Amino acid sequence: MIELYHVWKQYQKPDWALKDVTIKVNQGDFCFVTGPSGSGKSTLLKIIFREIFPTHGQIVVDRRNILRISDHKIYRLRRTMGIVFQDFRLLFHKRVFDNVAVVLQVLGYPRKELRRRVFNALRMVNLNHKMWEYPSHLSYGEQQRVAIARAVVNNPNIILADEPTGNLDTELAFEIMSLFSEINKKGATVIICTHDRELIRHFGKKIVFLYKGKLLREEYI
Amino acid sequence: MITQKFKHFQRETLNNLWQFRARNVFSVTIICLSFLIVGIFVSLSNNLQYTAQQLSQDMAVVFFLNKDISPIDREAITRELGKSPLVQKTQFVSSEEAMEKFLTKFPDLQGIIDNLKLNPFPSSYEISLRGRDLTYEETQPFIDKMRGMKGIEDVQFNKDWVEKMQSLSRLARAVGFFLGGILVLASFFIVSNVIKLNVIARKDEIEILRFVGGTNTFIRIPFLTEGIILGALGGILSLLLLFVVIKLFPIYLGSSLGILNELINFRNLTFSQSFALIFSGAVIGLFGSLSSIAKFLKS
Repeated sequence: MIELYHVWKQYQKPDWALKDVTIKVNQGDFCFVTGPSGSGKSTLLKIIFREIFPTHGQIVVDRRNILRISDHKIYRLRRTMGIVFQDFRLLFHKRVFDNVAVVLQVLGYPRKELRRRVFNALRMVNLNHKMWEYPSHLSYGEQQRVAIARAVVNNPNIILADEPTGNLDTELAFEIMSLFSEINKKGATVIICTHDRELIRHFGKKIVFLYKGKLLREEYI
Repeated sequence: MITQKFKHFQRETLNNLWQFRARNVFSVTIICLSFLIVGIFVSLSNNLQYTAQQLSQDMAVVFFLNKDISPIDREAITRELGKSPLVQKTQFVSSEEAMEKFLTKFPDLQGIIDNLKLNPFPSSYEISLRGRDLTYEETQPFIDKMRGMKGIEDVQFNKDWVEKMQSLSRLARAVGFFLGGILVLASFFIVSNVIKLNVIARKDEIEILRFVGGTNTFIRIPFLTEGIILGALGGILSLLLLFVVIKLFPIYLGSSLGILNELINFRNLTFSQSFALIFSGAVIGLFGSLSSIAKFLKS
């Protein structure tokens, strides 16, 4: 499903954010990428959804080399992915509903179907009662759940989440991780970057360990 | 799907317009004033063109005769006029008829004429020429020949006036396009920068749209529509203002300029000119936003 071959990434000389990383994530995997801060977890995710290009190496997603996709066609790749950013990247001048609906608007969903799907996604993260609130009126955890609802609303094949439970209490973190687990059970491939060992121990199926940009080990539990 | 996207673009455009209303009003004002300048000169030029047309419809030559012209000379002149292929109509105006015409046009001057105690107006031949687009080369030999005839004291030909009007009209239009061109260019950069500010203010939204699979066209359309609306609104407002100027200017001016009132006057823009003004506004808005969003989407 997602294959990285000898991926190197350098932002600034002489440091390497990623050094010769080769990973394969199969369809339906629930994969944790872990490692200390600065180990290259976020860089790895950014390369997979092509926010950035690697300095060397190749990336294949769904049997397509994503580095060969032209800029004006990259939207096709991104429509197959749901992304949860570390900083959520919500639109604070738009209501919760509109924040989630933006994904379906891009795809041109009819209004009725759009409302139904957005409502279901928000119900899944237990935020349907706050649909018409602005994100600034929500707690940190609630904002995170809006970001998750936005990532899953169009049932993508791949979910990428960067520290989705960072700064959340354990109970909420487990709740959110259970959500990802449910989505994974429906067939989506999920890749989560985290350094929360407790979560990895509880939910992990495949774990990728990074340290200073190098792949230390890959293991299935 | 297309209807949904169309509705989305409509909503987004209106949102953009409302959210950044202060700077949008500013850019509409700038476009409006720039186009008002162009409009004023085009309107002035229209009026001069109209006056020239009126004059050329009545392309006339007046041959003033000597007071003491002999009947033989007068006969010779009449014969010569009858022979010329350029002459469409000949009318003899006696000195009495000339005075009568003058007094009808300027009744206030009756006293001056009475004091003169003699008729100062010479008798004349008023000639209408065949065809409005006669050239100088065609008319001048005929006029020169007539001028040389015995009994003719002076010649008055309104073709000179027509040409003067036409060059004035061209000049007014050129000045309008020159001044307006500079202002329109300035307004292009202003619209471009206003849209750029709007784009920067929505940077996060654009980024999110790209991450969730929005195409560049999907992101671009609301901004382009916004530019078109701002430009067209500027054009429409400038037309309305021009209409007010056309109505108020004669009231303000009164009759202080005398005969020049007729020349320095405004005439409403034609339908095609009005359309061109609004269309140009829309095009400027479109290109202004296209240039700013293009730079942003590239980066």
